[in-house]
Amino acid sequence: MNNPVHTGSTRASLRDALVRVGNNGADRLLLLMLLGSICLFVFWPILCILLRSFAGEGGPTAQAYQEVWSGYRANLFNSLFVGAFTALFCTLFSVCTALFISTRRGWVRLACMAVLLISMVSPPFVSSLAYIQLYGRRGWITYRLLGLTWDPYNCWGVIWMQSISFVPLNALFLIGLLSKLDTDSLQAARDLGAQPGAILRDMVLPLLRPGVLVTLLLSFVRSLADFETPVIIGGRFSTIASEIYLQLVGYSDLEKSAAMNMFLLLPAVAAFFLYRRLMRRSDQLFLGNSRSRQGGLSLELRRCGAAGVLCTTVSLLFFLMMVLQYGCIFLSGFLKRTKGVYSFTLDYWNTLWSRDAATMGRSVLYALIVALAGTLFAMVFAYYMDRRRVPGRGLFDCLVTLPYMLPGSCFGIGYILAFNHEPLKLTGTAAIVILNMLFKQLPTTTKICSASLAQVPESLERAARDLGGSRLSVLRDVILPGLRPAFLSCFAYNFSSSMTTAGAILFLINPGKKLAVFQLFDAVYTGNYALASLMASSIIVIVLAVEGLVYFITWKGASRRVS
Amino acid sequence: MYLELSHLQKSFGDRAVVQDLSLSLEQGELLCILGASGCGKTTTLNLIGGFLRPDGGQILLDGQDITHLPPERRPVTTVFQSYGLFPHMTVLQNVMYGLKFRSMKKSEAREKGLRYLELVGLSDYAGARIYEISGGQQQRVALARALIVEPKLCLLDEPFSNLDAALRVKMRRELKAIQRELGMTMVFVTHDQEEALILSDRMAILEGGRLRQYGRPLDIYRHPADDFVSRFLGLEELVWREDGSLLKFIRRPDPQEA
Repeated sequence: MNNPVHTGSTRASLRDALVRVGNNGADRLLLLMLLGSICLFVFWPILCILLRSFAGEGGPTAQAYQEVWSGYRANLFNSLFVGAFTALFCTLFSVCTALFISTRRGWVRLACMAVLLISMVSPPFVSSLAYIQLYGRRGWITYRLLGLTWDPYNCWGVIWMQSISFVPLNALFLIGLLSKLDTDSLQAARDLGAQPGAILRDMVLPLLRPGVLVTLLLSFVRSLADFETPVIIGGRFSTIASEIYLQLVGYSDLEKSAAMNMFLLLPAVAAFFLYRRLMRRSDQLFLGNSRSRQGGLSLELRRCGAAGVLCTTVSLLFFLMMVLQYGCIFLSGFLKRTKGVYSFTLDYWNTLWSRDAATMGRSVLYALIVALAGTLFAMVFAYYMDRRRVPGRGLFDCLVTLPYMLPGSCFGIGYILAFNHEPLKLTGTAAIVILNMLFKQLPTTTKICSASLAQVPESLERAARDLGGSRLSVLRDVILPGLRPAFLSCFAYNFSSSMTTAGAILFLINPGKKLAVFQLFDAVYTGNYALASLMASSIIVIVLAVEGLVYFITWKGASRRVS
Repeated sequence: MYLELSHLQKSFGDRAVVQDLSLSLEQGELLCILGASGCGKTTTLNLIGGFLRPDGGQILLDGQDITHLPPERRPVTTVFQSYGLFPHMTVLQNVMYGLKFRSMKKSEAREKGLRYLELVGLSDYAGARIYEISGGQQQRVALARALIVEPKLCLLDEPFSNLDAALRVKMRRELKAIQRELGMTMVFVTHDQEEALILSDRMAILEGGRLRQYGRPLDIYRHPADDFVSRFLGLEELVWREDGSLLKFIRRPDPQEA
C-alpha cells in the first residue's frame, strides 16, 4: 500500500485493511454483476423461447411444433433452399473479392476497401431497395434502359440480394486471413518452381479452406435468419424467418413464432459449435504468423489461369453492382420524375428533416449509449475471462458468443417473452432496445478486446500488484489503458451496428419512439423508395461522420501524447 | 567460375543496400556472407534467389545468365529463415512439393522424398504435420525440401537463428556433412562469426552494402584486410578438432561492450 506501516500507526494499517477489503469487495461485486447480467440478458431470453414454444393450456405440449411442421413445411424447405444457394453464391463472391483486393495495391485497393467500408455501415435492406429501383417492374435498368417487363419479386431475387449483402463482412474476414498468410511459404513454393496458378491452387486456397467453410456456414445461418429481404422482395415467396415476422407483427401469435424460432435456433447453435472448430483449425494453419504484411499478397491473378480470370471477373462484377447500388441510393433521394423527366429536388430532404429529425436524433443517441456502455462492458468482461480464473469460464464465454449466431428475430422474441411482465417489465422502453443491441453485439466486441488484451503482457499486471496495487487498480491503471486501441474498434463497431442492424429491433421498438432503421424499413415496405434512399444515405453519412470523428479524436490524442 | 556475381547494385528509394558487389564461387563450395544486420546480406541472397531484381549488374550460374529469371524458373532454391513450410501438408508432402513441377512419376517422387527424409534423419516423421514437430526438425524439413529438386545452388538465410545454441552446433555439423555428401554449392547468410568460420569454404564480409573482404576463412583470419574486419571478427583464438577441422573460436572481449 502507499503509506508505509509503522509500528503504532494502527489507524493507517486499519485504513489499509479497509481499503483492501473494500477493493476486493468491489472486484467481486463487479464480477457478479457481469456474470449476472449475461445470464439475465442472454441465457434467460433464449430459455424463454424454449419454454414458450412448449407452452399449452394444460401443461407442456408440442402442439405448436406440430402446427409448424404440418403447416409451414414449404417455408422450412424454402429457407433451406435459399440458405444453400445464398451460402454458395455469397462464398464464391467473397472469396473472389477477398483475393482480388488482397492482390491489389494502390488506388484500386483503396477504392475497393472504401466500397466495402460503406457497405459495412449500410442498413441491411439497402441492397433490396436498390434492387427494386434498378431492376424492378419500373426499374432504371430493366424497364427504362432495356425496356423489359418482368417480375423481380421471387426467390432468386432473395438469393441474389442476400448473396450480395453478406459479401462485405465475409470478404473483410477473408482479407484478414489472407494478410496473415506466411509470405515465406508462398516464396518457398515459388522458389521450388510453382507458377502463380499452382500457388493459388496448392497454397492459398488450401490454407484458406477453414475460412471459406466459415464463410459458407455464416452465410447459411445469416440467410436462414434474414427476414427483411424476403419480406421486401420475396413477393409471394416466404421463408420461415419472414413467416415469423408475419406471425408476430400480423397476428401476435407468440407460441407459434417461438416454435418457428426453435427451427432457426437449433441450426444456429449447431453452426456455432462447428464455427468454433473451424476457427481453431484455421488458427492452426496460421500459427506463428501474427505479423501481417503491408504490401498485400504478392500473387498475380492474371497469371493464375482460369481461376484468376474467374476471380477478377466476379470481383469486378461485384464492385460494378456495388457502385450501381450506391449510386442509385445516393441519387434517388434527390431526384423527382415528372412527365418522364428527372429533375433535382429537395422535397424528400425537407420531409426527412422536418418529420423524422427526432427519429434520427434518437437513433444516434441510442447508438452512442450502446457504443459507450457496450465497449466498457466488453473490456471488463474480456479482462475477467482472459486474465482471472473465473469458475465456469468456458460456459460464460460460450454464452456471450451465442447471440452472434442467433437470428435477430430469435433474440428479439426472447426479449419480449422474458421482459414483458413484472418484476422486469421492460417492453416498450428504451432500455430493452439498448440492452438488446448491446448484448447482440457483445460477441464481437469481447473478441476485439481479448485480442487487444493479449498484447498487454501479464507481467505488467503482476508488476502493478507487486507495487501494491489492488485488483481494481490493476484494472484501472493497467488493463483499461492497454485496451485503448480496442476501445476505438469496439466503439466504431457498436455504433455502426446499432445504427444499421434491424433484426431484433423491429420487434422491440415502441411505435411512439421509432428508430431510423425502423422508419427506413417502413418506407421501403410501403414503397416510398425515394425517402427510403435518402434515409439510407443519411444513416451511412452519419455513421461515417461519427466514426471519422472518433478516429480523429483518438489520433489527435495519440499525437499529443507522443509530442 | 560456377557462380559469378558481377557489379550487383540494389537500392530501396535513396538507400543503396548493395553497392558494386562482385563475388565468384567454385562448384561444390559453401560461401558464407557475413555481416551485421542491415549490411545487405539478405538483400544479396534475395537477388540471387530472384525475389528482388537488381538495379544493375549480372548473375551468372553455371555459365547461364539468370539475372532476369523469375524465382520459379531459376535452378536455385532457398531455405528461409522462418522455414516457410506448408502448414497444411505433411512432412513428406512438404519435401516432395518441388518435384511436382519436374514431371516425375508420383511413386518415384515419393521414393525420392523418403530418401531425402532419411538424409536429414526424419524417416520416422514422414506422416507428421508441420506443427507437430520441433524447430530443429522443421529446419531439416526445409533443408530436404530445398535439396530434393537438385538445384544448382542452394541458398540459406540465417537458417539456424531460431534454434538454441546446442542444436545450432549440431545442425552446423549435419549441414556441412550433407553439403559435402551431395557436393552441393551453397550460399549461407549469417551474422554469427563462428558459424561462418566453421562452415564456409569462402567467406564474404559485408558492411553498408559493400564487400569488405572476400577469401578463404583462414586467410581472412590470418590477414584481415583492414581494421573493420579485424574488429568485426573479434578473433582471439581458434580451437581445432583432431581431424584438423575448426571446433570453435574464442572472441576477444569487445572494448565497446565492456
